[in-house]
Amino acid sequence: MSDIQRLPLDAIQPGAVLAEAVADARGTVLLPAGLSLTEAHLASLHRRNIATLSVTAPPDPAELARRREKVRERVLYLFRHTDDEPAAQALLQAVLAFRQEQVR
Amino acid sequence: MTDTPTLADVAGRIRSLPAMPAVALELLHTLAETDATSADLADLARRIAQDQAITARVLRVANSPFYGLQSRVASIHDAIVVLGFSAVRSLVLAAAVMASLPGGPCTGFSQERFWRHVLGTAAAAQAIGKRLHRPSEALFIAGLLHDIGRLALVVLYPARYAATLAAAREQDRGLQEMELEHFGFDHTAVGASLAEHWHFPAEIADALAWHHQPERGKADGLAAIVHYADAIAQALDLDDAEDSRVARLQEGAVVKLGLDWNTLLAVLAETQSRFDSYRLMLG
Repeated sequence: MSDIQRLPLDAIQPGAVLAEAVADARGTVLLPAGLSLTEAHLASLHRRNIATLSVTAPPDPAELARRREKVRERVLYLFRHTDDEPAAQALLQAVLAFRQEQVR
Repeated sequence: MTDTPTLADVAGRIRSLPAMPAVALELLHTLAETDATSADLADLARRIAQDQAITARVLRVANSPFYGLQSRVASIHDAIVVLGFSAVRSLVLAAAVMASLPGGPCTGFSQERFWRHVLGTAAAAQAIGKRLHRPSEALFIAGLLHDIGRLALVVLYPARYAATLAAAREQDRGLQEMELEHFGFDHTAVGASLAEHWHFPAEIADALAWHHQPERGKADGLAAIVHYADAIAQALDLDDAEDSRVARLQEGAVVKLGLDWNTLLAVLAETQSRFDSYRLMLG
């Protein structure tokens, strides 16, 4: 699993994933845990004077490839009873692309 | 085990099932009305608000990131004002059905997974429907109720259904196929009986009866969309079951929907975000 780190806002790159929700002083959730941060999110957190964030460090490429392979095996298993007709194959390929893209 | 029940036995015993909540039936019967007068709205909001369990489930979903509301809604009335009558009607119906139709004990049957799967199917049906300009609310309800016949079989024949589930698992075969073997009929036939008993709208009844054989349903009905949505929910693992499987697709029916690659990817993404919101209903 990826490591959770508490880092200063300036050290965080877009694409980092929030390990816990970000809340303002009154406890209102600004961004939910699990969110992949964009430039716009980071800029908005700057404006709100948020100093540090808990983020999940991105996994290394080998780990990522291993997880994508696991997803591929799972999807092939789910489709074990469908036939070779185009509709089932198209859904399989689309689900594979979508689910592998979700792996971070 | 007792003698194999017939479909007529099942239809006779449907009466003994817990009643579908009045509020859910009433909402179902008003499905054709897309607009409500403010009096209807106030009346509905007042009656639902009396049920804490339903209200809590609906508000959890209404306040999820999917709807992107600026501030939290705290009552059914506010939810209707902000999200619209149709969206709230669907959520109330789902919450009412879930709260009132407990599955009952049946070895190997997970109620949690059952509801996750039907909510996932409802989400996928709406995502597909949006691309085809089909009615979102009816698709949500058809997806939500598509396997309701299975729930009835679990409640009425727990031992026989447990044996059906065990056989499907051992032989790695589809549940619908095993239902036919163990009962002589499947959950779609029971769903059709339930739809008749509860006077569901025709388009919903059609989808319940034919979601495994969409070519036998009404032309341009909802069955084909629910058929495909069912497969999408399985393919995205929305029910979180280890031994899930995507059922065999009816090629002709799926091709007829005409979803190209990019549309399909958009449908998958929307299904996932809708489901992440709807699942909050499960607590």
